[in-house]
Parts: sequence; C-alpha cells; structure tokens
Amino acid sequence: MVTFNYNEEEKIFTATFAGRLDTLAVQRISEIVHINLPVRDGKSEDTIVFDLRDVDYISSSFIRICVSVAKQAGPGQFSISHCQPFIKKTFKISGLDEMMNVT
Amino acid sequence: MAETLLEKANDFLDKAQLAAAEFQQYNQEQTDRIVESVFKAGFNNRVKLAKMAQEETGMGIWEHKVIKNVLGTQLVYESIRNEKTVGVISSDPKTGITEIAQPLGPILAVIPVTNPTSTTMFKILICLKSRNPIIISAHRGASKSCSETVRICYEAALAAGAPEDCIQMISSGSRDFTHMIMAHPKVALILATGGTGLVNAAYSSGNPAIGVGPGNVPVFIDESADIPFAVENIISSKTFDNGTICASEQAIVVTRSMEKKVREEFEKQHCYFLNPEEIKQVEKIAIVQETHSMSPFVVGQPVSVIAAKAGINVPEGTKILLAKLDGIGTDYPLSVEVLAPILAFYAADDYHTAVNMCIDLNYLGGIGHSACIYANDEKRILEYSELLNAGRILVNTPTSQGAVGYFFNHLAPSLTLGCGTGGKNITTENITAKNLLNIQRVSRRKPNELWFSHDQSQYYDESLSVDEIMRDYYKNH
Repeated sequence: MVTFNYNEEEKIFTATFAGRLDTLAVQRISEIVHINLPVRDGKSEDTIVFDLRDVDYISSSFIRICVSVAKQAGPGQFSISHCQPFIKKTFKISGLDEMMNVT
Repeated sequence: MAETLLEKANDFLDKAQLAAAEFQQYNQEQTDRIVESVFKAGFNNRVKLAKMAQEETGMGIWEHKVIKNVLGTQLVYESIRNEKTVGVISSDPKTGITEIAQPLGPILAVIPVTNPTSTTMFKILICLKSRNPIIISAHRGASKSCSETVRICYEAALAAGAPEDCIQMISSGSRDFTHMIMAHPKVALILATGGTGLVNAAYSSGNPAIGVGPGNVPVFIDESADIPFAVENIISSKTFDNGTICASEQAIVVTRSMEKKVREEFEKQHCYFLNPEEIKQVEKIAIVQETHSMSPFVVGQPVSVIAAKAGINVPEGTKILLAKLDGIGTDYPLSVEVLAPILAFYAADDYHTAVNMCIDLNYLGGIGHSACIYANDEKRILEYSELLNAGRILVNTPTSQGAVGYFFNHLAPSLTLGCGTGGKNITTENITAKNLLNIQRVSRRKPNELWFSHDQSQYYDESLSVDEIMRDYYKNH
C-alpha cells in the first residue's frame, strides 16, 4: 500500500501509495508514513513527494495526512505527483491543493 | 435642490414597480406581441447597433457583432416565442400539480462592454417575455450604443402596448449609484454579466442575482481528434469578435506526442507561436501585474494591434498569438483569461497530466463556466466532462459560438451563461426567459396511499427499527 524511497543525491523522499486509500487503509498506514517521513522537530531539509500514480480513491483522512505533512515540511517542500485526474479533482474540490502542489 | 442618489434610485424603482404592477395583468398574447415587436425592432437595427458598439468600445469586429445581435434577437426570439410564460404553463392530472408562471418584478441588468448591444437586446427580450420590467446598467464604455439599443427596444415595446417604464436605463458614470440600485429593496433580481467586481457586488447586494463572471476555458485536443478540424474551429472561435466572448478558448492542452502536429497545424493556419522573449513582451501589455487579470487595452483587439503594442513583429495576416507555457498560475501571466486572440499552449507528458492541466486551468478563475474537448473517443469525452467543473463542455465545437447556444448545438441561445455554484450561480443553464419566473405549484389533493395506509403510531415506538418500519410501510404494495 505504501513504499518509501530516498534519493540522496537530490534529497527527495518519495512515498509511493497504491490502491484505495479509504479511512481504514489510512488508519493502517498513517503511523508508518509518519515514522518514515524525514521530518525532525517539525522541519524537513528534504523534499517530500507523495506519488499517487496507482491510487484509485482517497478519503478525507488521507487529505488530512497530506495537509499535516505539507505544514511540517514547510513551503515548497512537499508535493503530490502523478495523480489520476479524478484524484486531482478531489484535491481541487477540497480547496487544499494550492498548499500542496498537486500534479 | 439637487436630487440625491437615493432619491434617484427610488425614482427608477418606483417607476419599475408600477410597470411591474401593470405588466402582471397582461395575458400571453399581449406579452408575445410586445416581445415580437421588440425582436423585430432590434433585429432591424442589428447592423447599425453593431457598428455603433464597435466604434464606441473600439473592441471586436462589427460584422461579428451583427451575428451577436442576431443571436440576441432572432435566435433568442425563436427559442422563447412559443414558450408559455403567463398564467397556467402546465397541468398534470396524474400528479394534480398545476404550474402558474408569475413575473419576478423589476430586474436590474448589468451589461458588459464586450457584448453591449446584443446582451442588452437579449436581456430585454427575456425580461419582457416573463413580464418583468428591466433596468439596464451599461458599462460606461458602451453607454451610447446601449442607450440607443434601449431607445429602439422601448419604443417598439410601447408601440405594442407595453407598460410605461418597462425598460429603463441608468445613465452610466456612477458606480456607487449602480451599487445603490443593486441593493434597492424593490429590485427582484440582478442579471449581472461583466467583470468580477460588478458580479461580486451583485452577489453581495442582498438581492437575488444571476451573475456571470470570467471564464478560463481549457481546450484539450485528444489523440483521437481530427487535428486540422480542431485547429480550424479553435481559430474561428478565438478570432470571433476578436475573442470577446467569455466562453472563448483560453488554453490549448495536448500530449507531448501531439505537440508537433498541432503546432504545425496552427502555423499552417496562420497562427504564430511567440518565443520566450516575445511572451514576456505580450504579458506586459496583456496582463495587469497587480491584479493578475487581463488588461482592457488588449480586449477585443486584433493580433496586429496587440503585436504593435507589445513591440513584436509577426507575419502579416496572423490570426492568433500562441504562448507555450510551462505552468499555470500567477507566475505564468498568460495562463489567465484574456479576451483577445491570444492563447496559452501546453504540452503534457501524458493523457492524465494533460487532463490535470485542464483542471488547473479550469480552477484558475473559470470554475463553472465552459470547457472544451476535441476527440473521437466517447470514453475520453465522458471522462473529461465528468472531471471538469464547467456548466458547458463543448465537444468538437468552437467554444465562443458553441457555449452561447443554437449555432452548433441545442443549448438555449443566451448571452448569460450560468456557472453553477462554482461560479456562485444557482444554475449551470444558459439563462433564458424561464429562469426569470416564479413558478407557483397548485397542488390538488391526491392523498398518498402509502402514507395513509401505514400505521403511523409506529413512528412513536422507539423499539421499532428503520427496517421494520420500512417493511411495514411498503407492505402489500
């Protein structure tokens, strides 16, 4: 459901998600995501990317995780990539896409 | 003593309310006679008014404004002439519901500088058809042509027996006065077409409003599209009246695999791709940096004028300027709406990214308005349509002439395009006479057997579950 990758050269931490990220699924992965994030004392020196190319549903609890990570990572340090258009639309409707650079 | 603004506003609305009182007594035949008379008068003056509008505003092309005037008169008239808008408009013996149409009352119509005479005639016709007096508030840049339009329509209306003051016009100049009228308690509805400021003022006036603000129309050319056909249609639309219709195309989005072919086709059909330096020069004159919105100095201007203002050289006969951009938003000034023959152009890595770009463009000031797709793949057409937040998704159609209805489809001919809740509207429809009616529903007694045959004491029994009550509710049905 989620795998992590770190590109040391470019200092990019990527979490690649897959499947249906409903409330239950998010509850299961929430802790592991937070443990693995390169955020220390509310700061990150790395760029954090959530890759959603294989995600086919997101719940509001997943969007909340994204918001929380975006705030911790700081301006311009967090992005969400490879959204399928209906996932992109979901972020748009949430009104939170601008703080997260969703592509 | 000089008349105060409030006294002036009261005077307008007192007259309008008297007209409304008289008008609501008219029957369908009397109403239709007035509408026909106004349609004919407006139509007979279509060329004169088009020329006046072009000369006064300095925007657009008069021949195209003639077509807009034809839309605002003949085509609108054709679409409403047989509509019932007075008294009983429907009666269904099965449901026992009879619908009665009542007028709303005085309507304030805000008219944009981009389509002044056509929008004035359109709004007058749909207001008269619904027996509502109308007060026109025209953009100051188009006050003369609107005033002449109002004169022609009002005389025709009176000649056909319309109530005195059923059409009035606020002399332009005072924004405060327009806002005062907007908030006047005797205004039943504001039909606001224009810039964001005016439309927002209408919404915050406290009176009901149907407002149409800006669009930012993305056009996706899919791999299944007929490229020469798509490009030809886009050009015919974006050059129509020099791009002054708010539904005109703003950005072309293709996948990288299509980029070369589409680009070559645009060039073949006399369009010009700006280089990065030229893009910056055009941005400077086309976009107001402080507000990130289009500059009025380029609205409705031909390429030759825009190029001269920007200080760039383009081949003679160039129809549209295209700017290939790497992003969407305030850092990319030409990604916003520009009502002129300027198009943003995007090449995306793949289909999903292309559609995501269209969603971003759609949300950059154009929520609820219009979008377009060129494709011959039904699945993609539907997918795209569900993803975009647009009241109108035009398929293989020039958006300027497509969104306003009639020419290329069966949308209601209209110069006020509803943008749904995304655009702070109550509807996504093309606004027409039926949107200007209070519909009363006379409901005959038709007891609902389900309700009366059901033991209603069950509702007070907390021990009964929803499933148990529902089972009993539908028992023997």
